[in-house]
Amino acid sequence: MGTGGSLRTGPAMTSYQSTFVLYLECSDCGKHFSTREIHTFCPDCQAALLARYDLVAAREHLDREAISTRPRGMWRWSELLPVQDPANQISLGEGDTPLLRLPSLGADLGLSQLFLKDESSNPTGSFKARGLASAIAMAKELGIKKVIIPTAGNAGGAMAAYAARAGLQAHIFMPKDTPRANITESRMAGAEVVLVDGLISEAAGMAGIKARAEGWFDLSTFKEPYRLEGKKIMGYEIAQGFNWELPDVIIYPTGGGTGLVGIWKAIAELAELGWLETDKRPRMVAVQAEGCAPVIKAFQQKASFCDFWMHAHTQASGLRVPKSFADRIILSTIYESSGTAVAVSDEAIFKSQHEIACREGLFVAPEGAATLAALKELIQQKWVVPDERILLLNTGSGLKYLDHMG
Amino acid sequence: MGKNILCIEDNPDNMLLVQRALESRGYRLLKARNGLEGVTMAESEDVDLILLDINLPDIDGYEVARRIRNSARNKLAYTPIIAITANALKGDAEKSLAVGCDVYMSKPINIRELWARVEAFVPAPR
Repeated sequence: MGTGGSLRTGPAMTSYQSTFVLYLECSDCGKHFSTREIHTFCPDCQAALLARYDLVAAREHLDREAISTRPRGMWRWSELLPVQDPANQISLGEGDTPLLRLPSLGADLGLSQLFLKDESSNPTGSFKARGLASAIAMAKELGIKKVIIPTAGNAGGAMAAYAARAGLQAHIFMPKDTPRANITESRMAGAEVVLVDGLISEAAGMAGIKARAEGWFDLSTFKEPYRLEGKKIMGYEIAQGFNWELPDVIIYPTGGGTGLVGIWKAIAELAELGWLETDKRPRMVAVQAEGCAPVIKAFQQKASFCDFWMHAHTQASGLRVPKSFADRIILSTIYESSGTAVAVSDEAIFKSQHEIACREGLFVAPEGAATLAALKELIQQKWVVPDERILLLNTGSGLKYLDHMG
Repeated sequence: MGKNILCIEDNPDNMLLVQRALESRGYRLLKARNGLEGVTMAESEDVDLILLDINLPDIDGYEVARRIRNSARNKLAYTPIIAITANALKGDAEKSLAVGCDVYMSKPINIRELWARVEAFVPAPR
């Protein structure tokens, strides 16, 4: 644990010290880039850039308990986020989502310590709020005026909302069969929405072409460095919620993979900060739909990257990602954590969604429900044992998907 | 043992990226800047693998792949083809395999993945 007081209340605080960010680092070659300039991904390797912090200084100046007493929300961790000027911390109240015990489902499954982190209480109803709050804040800080994003749905709504809040112009490319709620909320917030005949992969291709042609900044998953930083705060909150002793297993629905990678990044940072009570790390489980399971296929083949998944299909629109730009980092996270990857059917997803609502009163997104379906598989395989602390991640609200339900 | 990679790509930046990546591993890059030039080079040069951009200024990459696979030069029936696209149109990936490409990659091309994809067919000279 850190020994000093909170940086925000410390006597030596300067505006520079509002963040301990140092630089961006290529996830492949390790080359450094400035956070004070606009960057997308490594131009040499075409790989994601990761924000790195002076965690030695942070350990000296930050105190985990002092942070816990700050006003709730993602920005209470601001020194571990990349934004320099606090005026650019765009917020709609994201973060500090509930960590709930699931006693009824746990009893049904013979598990004594089953939990769910419910990201549906974020602004715009999903975990996407975290990443887009951070990315839009950095876009504002770097003087960007126009942003563009390809999305399977929820990221579009979140981007539109935060762009509106920051006064930026938003352009969104999403599949034409995206849940209507996502289309409506994006347009309501003033974004220009283009419906694409295809999947998020085609939306990404079109958005990339448009971004290059028009000079708009592309906020595609992992093609800019800062959505990951907002998402990683889930990991800090999980550690805090479990009294700095991490759960044994984290089961995560994996589309683009920012959340899975972000939580693992947070755990590495927490370890360097000395804030964890034990050396034990969770086993990370990536869950995908049977109709679009590139990570599961690559994991089974012990591969270091994914093949593009042909003819991708699933009603869990957030899982309909044929290949993530950061597939190598997703897979290395699973391997490093001694985790696994599980594919589940749409039928199992919707059955689990109904069970979570009936047994625990939570109307979770299909992607979140996929984690329960995967857990059942893992129990059958005896990959988890009854007294382990198991955390399911629900990424959003089921209310966004009403037009996909019978 | 040959180590010649034919890259059919009209974008000079992408061509340069691929050239740097593959020459650093000891491959020799043959460069074609449009589809017809690519077909001609495939039929006349000693080529071990083809990197094929789908969006080309004359004939598209699908047509290039068809002509290569139907070439009178027997070797081209089984020369590995890696299709590369910006993936802006529905079904790009599926179509590229249907016309005879072996592997599909979408831009931006991660260099480590490119090395691995190429080396799966043609071991790196260094």
